[in-house]
Amino acid sequence: MTISKQTPQELAASLLAAALLLPGVQAHADEPPRNGSISLRYLDYADRQPGLDRIHAHSPSVSVTAPVAGDWSVEGTLTADDVSGASPRYHTAISGASHMEDERKAGDFAVTRYFRRGTLTAGAAYSTEHDYVSRALSLNGTLSSEDNNTTWAFGLAGSRDSINPVNNVVVDEHKRTVSVLAGVTRVLTPNDIAQLTLTRTNGSGYYNDPYKLFDNRPRSRRENTVLLRWNHYVDATGGTTRLGYRYYSDSFRIRAHTLSGEYVQPLANGWTIAPELRLYTQSAAWFYYDPVYDATLGAPFPPGFSNGADPNRLSSPDQRLSGFGAVTVGLKVAREIGKLWTVDVKVEEYEQRGSWRLFHDGSPGLAPLRARVLQVGLTRRW
Amino acid sequence: MVDAVDRFPFEAMASRCEIRLAAPNARTAEGLAQAAIAEVRRIERSYSRYRADSIVSRINAAAGRHRVECDDETWQLLAYADHLYGASGGLFDITSGVLRRAWDFRKPRVPGPDELAPLLALVDWAAVRREDGAVFLPRAGMEIDFGGFGKEYAADRACALLQQRGVRHGYVNLGGDMRFIGPQPDGRPWSIGIQDPRKPDGIAASIAVSQGALTTSGDYERCFDLDGKRYCHVLNPRTGMPVSHWRSVSVLAPLAALGGSVSTIAMLKEADALAFLEASGLAYFVIDSAGNAHHHSISGDYAS
Amino acid sequence: MKVRIFFPLIASALLAQAGCTTVQPWEKGKLAKPEMTFGGDRLETRYADHIYTSREAAAGGAGVGGGGCGCN
Repeated sequence: MTISKQTPQELAASLLAAALLLPGVQAHADEPPRNGSISLRYLDYADRQPGLDRIHAHSPSVSVTAPVAGDWSVEGTLTADDVSGASPRYHTAISGASHMEDERKAGDFAVTRYFRRGTLTAGAAYSTEHDYVSRALSLNGTLSSEDNNTTWAFGLAGSRDSINPVNNVVVDEHKRTVSVLAGVTRVLTPNDIAQLTLTRTNGSGYYNDPYKLFDNRPRSRRENTVLLRWNHYVDATGGTTRLGYRYYSDSFRIRAHTLSGEYVQPLANGWTIAPELRLYTQSAAWFYYDPVYDATLGAPFPPGFSNGADPNRLSSPDQRLSGFGAVTVGLKVAREIGKLWTVDVKVEEYEQRGSWRLFHDGSPGLAPLRARVLQVGLTRRW
Repeated sequence: MVDAVDRFPFEAMASRCEIRLAAPNARTAEGLAQAAIAEVRRIERSYSRYRADSIVSRINAAAGRHRVECDDETWQLLAYADHLYGASGGLFDITSGVLRRAWDFRKPRVPGPDELAPLLALVDWAAVRREDGAVFLPRAGMEIDFGGFGKEYAADRACALLQQRGVRHGYVNLGGDMRFIGPQPDGRPWSIGIQDPRKPDGIAASIAVSQGALTTSGDYERCFDLDGKRYCHVLNPRTGMPVSHWRSVSVLAPLAALGGSVSTIAMLKEADALAFLEASGLAYFVIDSAGNAHHHSISGDYAS
Repeated sequence: MKVRIFFPLIASALLAQAGCTTVQPWEKGKLAKPEMTFGGDRLETRYADHIYTSREAAAGGAGVGGGGCGCN
């Protein structure tokens, strides 16, 4: 055996490689130990536009994850939304604001089976409010390569919603969707991991907002998303950058780009601070109409209404389907207490404006929407 | 989910050993520990110099005479020994066990050059021929032994066996060389003390480990002091004399076999040890002959 | 639109060929940190999804099977 001069990296790699060739040894357990946890979280959300406070929501929720019998785990969530406030009947018209109060309760449950190289998760979700009931089922699976550096993900889900608006504009409407997902997660370096996820949803049924005037949407919707995420550990600071880009397009001809970034910085004594920034831009649905109204009848009638335009034509004055850009700025502060508890507080400010739409002009004439989000969370692991 | 951790002490490889693991109940824990202990004893029997029927004894008995066929496990251990010979610049030599005949650490006596010279002539890994699944020691009196990493290899095998049977928390400790299966059941790492080289019951440092291996080579395991100088069992294969630069070398590695090899090579490299340890990319904790500690940690969740 | 097809192709090509040097299990200490995973706090992610779905047209991306709501 000749004694060769090796560079330090070669020496380290060759020693490790040689040791791994020893029979019957393995460098790491096949799957990490799984812990259980219980989380409580509270959300306080309030949005507004100039001159009008809009929706206010309080939402407590609880989530439990527990490993079961070695190869299984179960997870369940319960949440209650207490929503009240004013929502424009069309565009951002204050005078037409509809006051509403609703309480939504939702729960979901999932069971996961762990295999040597993958997982399979079956889940069910149920949500109910005065005028809307949603039921969903899903099946998700992951498959990892031998070296655990690549993980493939597959998902299939379906939902059935029943809609019974309190104003009886329609009675017993339905909406059904089927979604598929395919994704891959890849460990790139000891400091980098990236993920690409593609989803497709086909839906049919009632998509209108029954509380908005002249809201008549197609009875089907096909949606596609491409999501690219990248997490990077910064050795110099011990922090992590979390970046994401999502492209969305659907059959309403809405195209949206979302760029999000978060930087998580652990500090001394178990504190962590994480600022975040999210940029969003979307195009308007093709049947969205600007706040330019019929020459004869005025607001809220869409142009051409008085001239005998087809009353069944598709239209919507919903701000959410307009073209706009939005920015979220947020900060989360968390503290680990002992090895089992984590507390965190998160505050975010969101603003949405037609003029902020990127690459093209946004929809004109809508008041900017601002929202303030406050969250408090408590988690205990076992 | 928070299982109790059971301890299973035993004697093997001329050392005090212990397996600690968490299992759903005492009976399962007992069964698992016994299986792991059986694996350690199997390796001890297979590679013991003292058993006439072991593969090592048969190879040594055939030195200078004929080649001996070996099984896959032995073949791979010999390949690993060869790799270590190259990586250490010829210092880690599994044929250097013959020097034992000159050194008896129970008596404080330093052998003279005329005693060492004929033995040094038999220390020559480069001359050992390995071909076609058989090994041949060319000169009568040559010996191989896996003392340099045998205990650590056994710790890795025992750990792999326990991991395959679903154990996720615990460690295997063979005479101070430890391989960790996983952290304590509540997720906290194990707090392991590195022995003070000059105080049998003292701790030089504490390290928190949850996975991988912690191995130590020291000048205090088999040694004697004469005229104020310590003579330890780690012998330089070229001079036949003990190394003296370090009191102890502890290494954190993903495998005990790797850690044990690196810590032994570091002892042998004496003044060049720190460069070697840096090149190995592993976290280490060394105490020099003056009693000063040097250490280097790498990021990752081996130790804090 | 060409962008639609281009993007996932480039992204998946990058993911596929990137990381040609395999990352070993003992090098994955940093990747195990919660902030390096893609899961995140379950409830926090749900709140975010719910808020954005009720104020914007785009929805989803990371998972399927959440169910809907009549959010206003």
